[in-house]
Amino acid sequence: MILLFLVVLIVLSAYSVFTRDLLHGVIALSAVSLVSALLFYILQAPDVAITEAAVGAGVSTVVFVWAIRSTERKKRQ
Amino acid sequence: MTPRRVFSALWSILPLVISLVAVGAILIPIFLESTPWPVEARNHLEDQGVAESGAQNLVSAVYLGYRAFDTLGETIVLLVAVSGTIGIIARAKGALAKGFDREDKGSPVPAVALAAGTTSLSAPPPRLRRAKTRTDLLEVVTGKLGPVVLVFGFYVMLYGHLSPGGGFQGGVVIASGIVFLALGGKEGASTRLTEAGVLARLEAMAFFFLVLAAFLGMFMGSGFFTNFLAGVGLPSVGFIILLNIIIGLKVGAGIGFMGIAMLSRVEGAKGEEVNHD
Repeated sequence: MILLFLVVLIVLSAYSVFTRDLLHGVIALSAVSLVSALLFYILQAPDVAITEAAVGAGVSTVVFVWAIRSTERKKRQ
Repeated sequence: MTPRRVFSALWSILPLVISLVAVGAILIPIFLESTPWPVEARNHLEDQGVAESGAQNLVSAVYLGYRAFDTLGETIVLLVAVSGTIGIIARAKGALAKGFDREDKGSPVPAVALAAGTTSLSAPPPRLRRAKTRTDLLEVVTGKLGPVVLVFGFYVMLYGHLSPGGGFQGGVVIASGIVFLALGGKEGASTRLTEAGVLARLEAMAFFFLVLAAFLGMFMGSGFFTNFLAGVGLPSVGFIILLNIIIGLKVGAGIGFMGIAMLSRVEGAKGEEVNHD
């Protein structure tokens, strides 16, 4: 179970680094936070899990999405 | 492939290689070491933590009891981070407007008042204008979900000494609730939690009370951040509950303030787009 979560974490992180669309990257990052919150819960650190879920999946995603919304999408030449 | 191509390809993977080597350099000694983990503090906490602090949740006992001084430092870090963010948002007025290719026609929240935290209490909250990208779905869901999230945040904050959680976790959840309320709030809503001035005052008051609680122990003849409630005969866990409430309000107000400041800035800029066309 833990191994599965770790593999998912690595895949999602790599996706968020290499994707061309910033929004996709942010959503992948949010999923990373969610999976790591589950991982923390399994590893018996519920405090850290709550923080990770609230900060990682909640606040930071919202902040990133706001930041992206104030940019403009550039068409690829 | 020309040598130049090869060189540029190597150059592009250089950051990856460097970061992998750095991670390896940090992690490999941890896996290879054979020194036993220090157990003294852990054993002490296991045996006497609950009795000494009165908190079932030993994490709370550590960060508000044994290492409360570190927690003061953390809240100062948060205060500085929020102030810096607000400062940048206030300064980025022109830059953000330039990004939208139009001049800034006054922000919903006055930038200077926002930075100083002196937004008038009597002034109506800046109405977040409906942008094109915003759907009814977002407004309805966040409006309904906001109070529930707020209650859950207060639960996590108030029961931090018994169940997992505490001031920081509860505060962040409260901040999410505040941002939800701001996103889904209707005109003339009965909450003032989404006003920037209220949040700024709340954070300042919470920080003041934190420092006060830290110093009260000294007036009662013991050290900085000692449990002054145990000195007057109250259960000693009361100190942890008090600090949890103070820190929860401070974190919630601070991060909520930051979120609302960003929201008004960006939504305001988008709202003008609607007006123009």
